[in-house]
Amino acid sequence: MTSSSPSSSSPSRKALSKIACSRLQKELSEWQVNPPAGFKHRVTDNLQRWVIDVAGAPGTLYTGETYQLQVDFPEHYPMEAPQVIFLHPAPMHPHIYSNGHICLDILYDSWSPAMTVSSVCISILSMLSSSPAKQRPADNDRYVRNCCNGRSPKETRWWFHDDKV
Amino acid sequence: MAAQAEAEEEVRLELEAVAAVYGDDVRVLRDIPPHLVVHVRPRTADDSSQQFVELFLGIKASSQYPKEPPHIYAVERKGLDENRQSYLISSIQSKAKELSNYPMLVTLCEEAGEILSNMNHPAGDCPLCLYPLVGEDKDGSVLPFMKLMSCYHCFHSNCIMRWWEWLQHGDANPKEHKSGVIDPSKGYDLSSSGKHCNVNQHKGFCPVCRKVFDEKDIEHVHDLLGESTSQLASLTLDLGEDEKELLHSEAEQIRRKRIESLLNLQQERNGLIEPKKDLAIQPGMYVTLPPSTSDAAVGENAEPSEDTTTSTSETEQQGQNNTTSNKPKNSGHRRRNRANASRRQPHGQPGRQQWQRKEADTSHQ
Repeated sequence: MTSSSPSSSSPSRKALSKIACSRLQKELSEWQVNPPAGFKHRVTDNLQRWVIDVAGAPGTLYTGETYQLQVDFPEHYPMEAPQVIFLHPAPMHPHIYSNGHICLDILYDSWSPAMTVSSVCISILSMLSSSPAKQRPADNDRYVRNCCNGRSPKETRWWFHDDKV
Repeated sequence: MAAQAEAEEEVRLELEAVAAVYGDDVRVLRDIPPHLVVHVRPRTADDSSQQFVELFLGIKASSQYPKEPPHIYAVERKGLDENRQSYLISSIQSKAKELSNYPMLVTLCEEAGEILSNMNHPAGDCPLCLYPLVGEDKDGSVLPFMKLMSCYHCFHSNCIMRWWEWLQHGDANPKEHKSGVIDPSKGYDLSSSGKHCNVNQHKGFCPVCRKVFDEKDIEHVHDLLGESTSQLASLTLDLGEDEKELLHSEAEQIRRKRIESLLNLQQERNGLIEPKKDLAIQPGMYVTLPPSTSDAAVGENAEPSEDTTTSTSETEQQGQNNTTSNKPKNSGHRRRNRANASRRQPHGQPGRQQWQRKEADTSHQ
């Protein structure tokens, strides 16, 4: 896995469109009825930013550990992918940078509006669970240095060529 | 022995009967004992827009057929979820048991068509807005939905149109416009542009299964949404929208553009009946134009975007040159843009690359 440095500055954060609001309310109510196993949404009144507790799956390197995902929704969600990062401290994983950025194709190029927060969470947990070793990506230091000032991972030009983890 | 030959003859006659009824929709993989795959569709009087399910049904008989009922299985399905499919298969299996000792192939296919006709409705929620596909909004009006012909995945018409517009014009994010990226292991990867967020113009992909679809697959939705703007109001989940917002909506703008290009086309082909204008009669005014441009009409089907440039005043020869010469021009342009890519990214294991990286620029030409 490689990443290049982020380009250009973050677009200013805009309020959710009505369509995005409607869809997120629906997702939230479905989450409340049937949350994905191992995840807990922290209740806030902010629909545009969800903070989700992730419990490492039993029998994996992350058993017993809990991490926090932060999901920010753009104005045109679900046409546009949400921004998903791990809050500090991010799990040690070959595809997760120490600043919390996650190298996972569905969060960027391969996003589809039929995906949901719930399906994204399941993909991230599956990625965690299949980790062979607790280690940072090879280019972690260079990448994180280039991401100063809280740049969004969506600004990064990602390269995905590891289909094993 | 004579009895066996007779039994075989009977099976052959049965196969002939199936072929007579289903024609091209049946594929016989083996004659004796029969093994066939039948393309079963619900009865919708051949109105494909009313078809939401279909099934390729496999019927594989043993040498004991028809004493022993054949094995029934689904080869391929569209629009059917697990539950409905297993119900369908088990129903046909029990029908087959019922008919043991009798020739049953045609009857089984008919039964499948019957059940499929009763199942011919989409189920579940719209994958885009997550609200039920078939249902009413807060005002009590029904939300129209549509399906993609390639995969039979269904969406609210308005939801899929929004996705389409997003694919065509949506990425207003300036970072996307900078430059292409060259994959050193593959050179210019032209195939990737059809799959991800920067999709070729006039192409989209199904949000559920990523099957690529054409503009023509959702053209009828344009028409539907254009039929009445009051209906459009009920389509959007933004129930608070006032009319002004509606008239500036993306769907409305797309509709206008489309109608306008259609109008231009009609005008060019003299297919438009307009009120007479105050024109002075000039010599040669009513000279008949060259014969109808059949070549242009063919070109229209293949390249709906380009035929507006084809004028009826051109001869057939010119029309042909026009459409054919446009294509290489376009692709050449695209390639040039890619060659301008300023960033080259080395990466470790070229053979492993599974997903395409971000493609810049291709959707904005």
